[in-house]
Amino acid sequence: MGIISVENLDRLFWLGRYTERVYTSARLFASSFDRMIDVEIDNYAAFCSQLDIPNIYLSKEDFCSRYIMDETDPNSICSNLLRAYDNAIVLRNEIGSEPITYIQLAVYDMKKSSATRAPIVGLQKVIDDILAFWGIVDDMIENENTRNIIKTGKRIERLDLFGRLQMDRISIQREVHRLAGRITKTNLHYDTAMLSELQKLVEKEEIDYARVVELADHLRKD
Amino acid sequence: MQELKLTKQSEIVNELLARYGVKFGIYKNNVFKEQLFPFDTIPRVIEKENFAHLEQGLKQRVMALNCFIRDVYGEKKIIKDRVVPEEFVYISSGFLAPCDGVTPPKGVYTHIAGIDLVQGKDGEWYILEDNLRVPSGASYPMIARELCRRSSPDTFEDNHIEDNRYYAKLLRWVMDYVNVGGHTVILTPGRYNAAYFEHSYLAEKTGAHLVSGNELMVEDDYLYFVDYTGKKERVGAVYRRISDEYLDPMTFKEESVIGIPHIYDVYRKGNVALLNAPGNGVADDKGIYYFVPKMIRYYLGEEPILQNAPTYLPFYEEDMKYILEHFDDLVLKDVAEAGGYGVVFANKMTRQEKEDFISLLKKEPRRFIAQEVIDFMDIDILEDGEKTPRKADLRAFVLMADEPLVWKSGLTRFSRNPDSFIVNSSQGGGFKDTWVLSQ
Amino acid sequence: MKDLRFHYHMDIEFSEPVCNHTYTLKCIPQTTQTQEITECTVQVLPANKVQRGCDSFGNIMLYGNVEEEQTLFSVDVSGRARTGIERQEIGGRYTDLSIYKYQTPLTRPDSRLEELYQKCAEDKTAELSLAEKVRAYMKAVYESMSYCKGVTGIATTAGAALSMGKGVCQDYAHILLSLCRMDRIPARYVVGMLLGEGESHAWVEIFDGARWMGFDPTNDLVAGDSHIKISHGRDYQDCSINRGVFTGQAKQQQRILVEVTETEGASFSI
Repeated sequence: MGIISVENLDRLFWLGRYTERVYTSARLFASSFDRMIDVEIDNYAAFCSQLDIPNIYLSKEDFCSRYIMDETDPNSICSNLLRAYDNAIVLRNEIGSEPITYIQLAVYDMKKSSATRAPIVGLQKVIDDILAFWGIVDDMIENENTRNIIKTGKRIERLDLFGRLQMDRISIQREVHRLAGRITKTNLHYDTAMLSELQKLVEKEEIDYARVVELADHLRKD
Repeated sequence: MQELKLTKQSEIVNELLARYGVKFGIYKNNVFKEQLFPFDTIPRVIEKENFAHLEQGLKQRVMALNCFIRDVYGEKKIIKDRVVPEEFVYISSGFLAPCDGVTPPKGVYTHIAGIDLVQGKDGEWYILEDNLRVPSGASYPMIARELCRRSSPDTFEDNHIEDNRYYAKLLRWVMDYVNVGGHTVILTPGRYNAAYFEHSYLAEKTGAHLVSGNELMVEDDYLYFVDYTGKKERVGAVYRRISDEYLDPMTFKEESVIGIPHIYDVYRKGNVALLNAPGNGVADDKGIYYFVPKMIRYYLGEEPILQNAPTYLPFYEEDMKYILEHFDDLVLKDVAEAGGYGVVFANKMTRQEKEDFISLLKKEPRRFIAQEVIDFMDIDILEDGEKTPRKADLRAFVLMADEPLVWKSGLTRFSRNPDSFIVNSSQGGGFKDTWVLSQ
Repeated sequence: MKDLRFHYHMDIEFSEPVCNHTYTLKCIPQTTQTQEITECTVQVLPANKVQRGCDSFGNIMLYGNVEEEQTLFSVDVSGRARTGIERQEIGGRYTDLSIYKYQTPLTRPDSRLEELYQKCAEDKTAELSLAEKVRAYMKAVYESMSYCKGVTGIATTAGAALSMGKGVCQDYAHILLSLCRMDRIPARYVVGMLLGEGESHAWVEIFDGARWMGFDPTNDLVAGDSHIKISHGRDYQDCSINRGVFTGQAKQQQRILVEVTETEGASFSI
């Protein structure tokens, strides 16, 4: 009927955030893992501190398996994927059965990747599924507002992650620009003052990353 | 029928079912789990003429059940005429006093009926039970058909099978027929309900909005859906998949948190349709089952087309005598239980259990029914690529608007355990598609 | 025959602010064959739109919801009633009676109730007229129980109350209902007000084949013109004066004050 409840609005937003978190953290892991093979074996500690997650891992092997797979570790890629799934499964009515299948496939592919010594190969499938999901969201969801809410979630999450990772100025600027273009197309409540602060902040010579993260997380009002 | 090409594609079909998340929820040790609903590609096939017979019988039965419910909550003629003893009505947990004197929109109570049948070895169909509250299962053969057609198009070229994917249209037709003005919604208890997949799938396919209780509200005797901007949209029909007791804390269970306060008062005033009507449980009670053939004669003046499984009521002295004499041949059912629980086969009891059961039976005769064990016609399933026979039943769906319509398909459930008669998904059963031949 | 002035007041105090409070009240007496309500005013606070309806037992319901925050909800009903205008109410249709013949979870007999029933049977109640028999049951209930507040609650069954031998009018009524229903006598639970000051009261009505008669087991007397009836049902559950749900963690405390006085030499026009 084209109207969205508060609950579903929230779920759409978080579906966007969690899929993005899985996608970006899987890609980050992949590049970090490459260094861990033979260059910086203990690089995982730096990885954790960059992403601001507790380093609870005992070794490189422990990290590689638990950070990807461990459902009981709330920061693992798997946990974030399951949270995306939790949101997707209750949105069949808003987004349709076909898009949900890609999240479902990502869950299956994640579980299948557990046995391998080459985690990036398994994760690649998960990344493929997420990309396919975003593709079908664009292609199949008729309601523009629904699409835009998912995408706003995705943009906010990416800005949050990029801010934590202290990415280069150009990348951050691009993300703020994309977010500003998207959020205004939705009916989401957001803080316009914060958005313009964000826009000004990234023009400065020295970017205050902590403030970027803070603003990204508080931009949307309930 | 010759070997179907479809059965060679079992793996592909099941992969697709997994991809589409065709699951049901189950609680094990209080932890919620989603499980794939095992699907067997060998369909149950019902010949055109045989189905025509079933269809007539099912329509007749549901018409009579609808008359019965209207009567019980209205004039109560069948009770006054002593066709059904009043204690069977008033002691039934399905009889809800707040429904007395309340007539639903267009007088329809049994919008969606799920009638469970088995086919005996003699080829005859027997009614096992009527489900008139929130019967589930239609979504499974719907999506299985879709995916089977995708996996083995040849099979559907070679055979003349009635398409079953029009179920969503049937359901929409019923919803629209009783809608009193406003949107149509499907009310779910939420994701952790066993049939959540079905709720969300039917919502998608019918175009109704899937909601949970906290998304609806009552104001000034009307029901509204509230969107995120706070705008209220009137709701005229609710296909509710939560049970009567939880529907409205102001009328039924006060502690319910999944219901909508005062929705029943809106309904009482005729300002919303509820599908199925609250109070239907009075007619699908296992004790009332015994009386359905009598209802058909009483309300329709016809002989029942479909038979009940031979049933005895310990409530009647004569029947009690029979039960005690033939105890070992019977299956005993607790009328208050559902989902395959509370069913015991007398020949599987120890001596002590028998003694205990009989004394319980004598103390609470109204609580049980006894039935002859029907010699089911087994159906083949594939196990490790080999065909092997299993017990199976059929849930047929009858939808009611101005007249009843029978869906030309149904949910065939089978027991995966070779020794078991119990086919419920909650007890590990699987399902099959049901084909009705069009030629 | 009496001319009574009644005043019913209920306060529900919440320990902290609550919102989305939805309520259903069954607190309005209506004209029956034995009483005539000549005046009645109702006030619900916080003031909001109140809907009026009728439940399946024929009781008047008031219901609504208060979205905004509140800490005190109150209901005030006052008016005048002529009671005892006929000795008894004329009964309804056969079908309306049957529902009152069967036990409910609150009245279902346990061994203690069956014992009491047996004891009554030994006193040859079978030979009595229906009204005399119920009077004997009422006496048995009265003698088995002592009136005591705070030992039973709204979910206490007839059997549990009888085992304790203590309770309030609600428990007395449930026990009497249970005994009557063991004989398949149509018997219903009644909520109302009693001449004097106090809380709301509960008693029992039985159908004697022609009419409903009131029996007040708490006082061991046949209900007459000192009783103003508000509602009836199968048991307490069907007649609860107030049902409500709200959002919030607050504890609620309910206070009810009932005052019924006799107006002397009053004349009124109808």
